[in-house]
Amino acid sequence: MWKTIIRRILVMIPQLLVLSLLIFIMAKFMPGDPFTGMVTPDTDPARIEELRQQAGFYDPWYQQYATWMMNAVQGDFGKSYTYKVAVADLIGDRALNTLWLSLVSVFLLYLIAIPLGVLAGRYQNTFLDKTVVLYSFISYAIPVFVLALIFLFLFGYKLQWFPTSGTVDIKYENGSLGYIWSKFYHLLLPAITYAVLGTTGVIQYLRTEVIDAKSQDYVRTARSKGIPLNKVYSRHIFRNSLLPIAAFLGFTITGLLGGSIFIETIFGYPGMGQLFIQSISGRDYSVITALVMLYGFLTLLGSLLSDIIMSIVDPRIRID
Amino acid sequence: MNKKLWTLLALILAFVLVLGACNGEGEKSDGKDSPAKDNENEEVVDTGSFPLNVENEGDVIKGGTLKVALVNDSPFQGIFSSVLYEDAYDSDIMDFASNLIFETDGDFLLTKDGIAGMEVDQDNNKVKITIKDGVKWSDGEPLKIEDLMQPYLIIGHPDYTGVRYDVDFQNIVGAVEYHDGKADAISGLKKVDEKTLEISFNKLSPAIFSSGDGLWSYAEPSHILKDIPVKDLLESDAVRKNIVTLGAFKFDKIVPGESVQFVKNENYWKGAPKLDSVLVKTVPSTSISVALQTGEYHMTANTFSTDKYLEIKDFDNLTVLGRNELYYQYIGFKLGKYDKDKSEVVMNADAKMGDVKLRQAMGYAIDVEQVSEVYYNNLRERATSLIPPVFKSFYDDSLEGYTYDVEKANALLDEAGYKDVDGDGLREDKKGKPLEIKFATMSGGDIAEDIASFYMQNWKDVGLNVTLSTGRTIEFNSFYDKIEADDPEVDIFMAAWGTGTNPSPSGLYSKTAQYNFSRYTSEKLEGILAAIDSPEAFDAEYRAGKFREWQEYMSENAPIIPTQYRLELRPINKSVKNYDIDYADKIDWNEVELISEDPAKSSK
Repeated sequence: MWKTIIRRILVMIPQLLVLSLLIFIMAKFMPGDPFTGMVTPDTDPARIEELRQQAGFYDPWYQQYATWMMNAVQGDFGKSYTYKVAVADLIGDRALNTLWLSLVSVFLLYLIAIPLGVLAGRYQNTFLDKTVVLYSFISYAIPVFVLALIFLFLFGYKLQWFPTSGTVDIKYENGSLGYIWSKFYHLLLPAITYAVLGTTGVIQYLRTEVIDAKSQDYVRTARSKGIPLNKVYSRHIFRNSLLPIAAFLGFTITGLLGGSIFIETIFGYPGMGQLFIQSISGRDYSVITALVMLYGFLTLLGSLLSDIIMSIVDPRIRID
Repeated sequence: MNKKLWTLLALILAFVLVLGACNGEGEKSDGKDSPAKDNENEEVVDTGSFPLNVENEGDVIKGGTLKVALVNDSPFQGIFSSVLYEDAYDSDIMDFASNLIFETDGDFLLTKDGIAGMEVDQDNNKVKITIKDGVKWSDGEPLKIEDLMQPYLIIGHPDYTGVRYDVDFQNIVGAVEYHDGKADAISGLKKVDEKTLEISFNKLSPAIFSSGDGLWSYAEPSHILKDIPVKDLLESDAVRKNIVTLGAFKFDKIVPGESVQFVKNENYWKGAPKLDSVLVKTVPSTSISVALQTGEYHMTANTFSTDKYLEIKDFDNLTVLGRNELYYQYIGFKLGKYDKDKSEVVMNADAKMGDVKLRQAMGYAIDVEQVSEVYYNNLRERATSLIPPVFKSFYDDSLEGYTYDVEKANALLDEAGYKDVDGDGLREDKKGKPLEIKFATMSGGDIAEDIASFYMQNWKDVGLNVTLSTGRTIEFNSFYDKIEADDPEVDIFMAAWGTGTNPSPSGLYSKTAQYNFSRYTSEKLEGILAAIDSPEAFDAEYRAGKFREWQEYMSENAPIIPTQYRLELRPINKSVKNYDIDYADKIDWNEVELISEDPAKSSK
C-alpha cells in the first residue's frame, strides 16, 4: 500500500507540471492585463507601458514561464498585482478564513444530514421520511445566494442574532478569547447557510443505503441472534451505510479550501472563492496561477485520500 | 423517538416559515439585481430634489462613534498612502485621515486656506509652497518641509512601481535624472527655509492651479518613511498598519480588508474633531440597503449606487444627498488609428464614420432622456458637453448637445447621401453599398444589453443598421483591448471617463494622446488644446473662453458625443447632526457631530 501511495505522489509531479503550463498560457491568453483597469485620464499611458515592460509581459511566454517556474519551485509565487503583497501571504490569510468556515460548515452539515438520512431510511415511507425527502428536495432547489440573502436579512438585520459582515469585530485584541469567539460568531451564519443547503447528497445516500441494508442477510442474522433493533441500526447498518460518504471524504477534506463565492460575497467574508474570481477579473496572473496550482494539487490529493480512506473503512477494497 | 420526531417537525416548520418570508422579501432581493426592469412603471425621481447638505434637528451628544459603511463586494486593499494606493476604496477610507495640504474651491482650483499655500512664479517656471505654523502629524511630530518633499522622492524613485511617475511628474526639473538613478535627489526641489519649499518645473501651465504639471498635493511623514527603502514600502507597516497622518482622525486599528477604526486626532490643525471615533466597515452591496434601513450605519464612505436608490428612497431615517459626479459617458466614433511608432493619431480619410453629418445624425437619433428615465430612474441626465457641469467656470452652459430629434437625424442623413437604395428600410452608404455600423459596448449589470438594444433600435428608426461588435456586449478587459488596438470590428463604441479634478482635455483629445480613442485630430483642435494650457491662459477668463471654444468645437464635429452625466448619492442617517457634500464647501470631518450614538432605524 505504501508503495502505491508513493507512486501516486510521484505521478502528481508531471500532472502538476502540465497543469501549470496550461494555466500559465491560458491566463496570458485572456484579453487585458492587470494594468488595463488603470486607464483613466489621470494615468499616463507611457507609464503603464513602462510598468508592463518591467513586469515582463512583453517577454516570450516560455521565458516568462521559466522565470515563474524557477521562483515557484523555491516557494516564491510572486506578488499580487492587485493587493501588492506576496501571493503566499495573501492566499494564506484567505485560506485560513475559508478553512475555518468550511470546517464548521461541514461539521454542521453532517450534524444535520446524518441523523436525517438514517431516520428517513429507517422509517421509510412514513410521514417523517416524506418530510425529510421534501426538505432535501427543497434545499437542493434553492440557490445558495437566495437563502444566504434571506438568512442574512432575517437573522442578521431583523433579529440581530448574528453579525452581518466581516470575520471579526474590530474591538477585540488579536488572539484574545473575545477575538476567537468573535471569529466563530461571525462565521456561524454563513456556515449554517452552507450546511442547510449542502445536506441533500448526504441525506439521499444515507437513506438509500439504510433502506438497502435493512434487507441484507447480515441484518437478518443480527436480528435473529436477538440483538435489539436500535443496536442493529446504530452498529451494523449505520457503519455500512456510511461507506459511500467515506468515499467522498478525501474530496470533502481537500475541498474545504475551495470557498464559496456567493456566501463570501453576501456575508462580506474574505475567502478563497472570492479571491479566485476577483483575481481572474482583475487579471492578477500571479494569484490565478498559484490558486489553480493549489486547487489542482488538492484535487489530486483528495482522490488519493479518498482511496486510502476507502481501503481503511472497507476491508474488501485494497489498493496495491 | 417521539421527541426526535418533534424536533424534526419544528425544524421543518421553521424552514417553511423562512420560505414564507422569502415571498415577501424575495421580491426585494430580485429588485436589487434588476432595478431597471422592475421599475419601469414606478414613479420617476426628480433629480433636482437632492440636497447637497443636511442639518438634522436635535441636541448633539458629546463625542460618539460615527459608523460608516464602505460599500464594497470584496475586501479593500489596505494601502494607506496617497502615493501608493491604487484602489478608490482605500482613498475613501483615507479621507478621514487625509494628508492633503491644499484646499480647493468649486472649480477644484487650489486656494490658500489649507495647510499650505502656493505662489506661482510664471516667468521662472517656479512655484513656492509655504506651510502654516503649528501643524502636527498625528504622532505629535511637527510638519516639516521634508514631509512635502517626501512624496516626490518616493514617486520619482527607481524602485517605485506605481502609475504616478508620469509625464506630468517628469516636468519637475531633475525628476528624470533621479528616476534613472543618476542623481540622489530631485534638483528641482529646494528647501528655502523651514516653512518654504520651492519647486522648479520645465514648463508651467494653468493646470498647476488644479494641482497638475507634476505638483503633488499631499504630504508624507518623512520622519517615518525616509528610513524605509522604497521597494519595501508597499508591504511596510508604515502604510498598512501604523499609519501617521495629518487628518482629523488617526488610524487606530485595522482588520485587513474588512474594517478600520479611527480615533480623533488631538493634533488636528483645524482643531480636534467633535466625534471620538469613526468605524469604517465593509458592507457588501447586496445588503447595504437593509443595513441602512435597520440603522447599522450612519452613512456610507463611498458613493451609494444609484441602481439601489429606489430601495432606500422611502426610508424615513435617511436623508439622501446628491451631487454631480466628475464623469461623463459618451459614444465614440472610430476615425483613424494610433501610430505607435510615431506616437500620434493618424486619421483615416475613408473611415466609415468619417462623415460628420452621419455622426451628428447618430447623436440626434438617440433618446438619451428616455434611457435616463427608464433605466436610471433619472439619476443620470443627458450630457451636453465634455466638461461636467461641476466645473462651473469651464462648463459651457450654452451648449444644447444632441437632443432627441428624429427628423433632424433623417434630414442630415439624406443630405449626406445615405439613402435607402434597395428599399429594405435601411440606408445604404454613399456609394449605395450596404452600411453596417459595428457598435462595441461593455457588459456589466443587467441593463447594459437593454440599453445597447435601445440605442440600436433608435438608430434603426432612422434607417441605420447598427449591430453589436462580436455579437454581444463585451467584457471590460477585452473591450479596452479592442478600443486601444483600433480593432476593425469596432466602428462606434460606448464608454465613459471619470475626469478627475484637472479639467485640461489634452490628455484625452490631443494628437499624441493614446487615450484619444476616437482617433480624431485637426489643426484647429490642436490649436485650442494648446491655448488652454498656454501661458496666456494663466488669465482665468482667457482660459475659460478657450474651454468653451473647445467644447463647442467638439460638439460641432462630434468625434465623440457625450451621452450622460451621473449623479453621486450619499445617504445620511437622521442621527448625524450635519453633513455636506458640496465640492466647493465640503464640511470638514472635525465639525461633524451626532445626535445619538446609535443610528436611527427606519419605521418603514
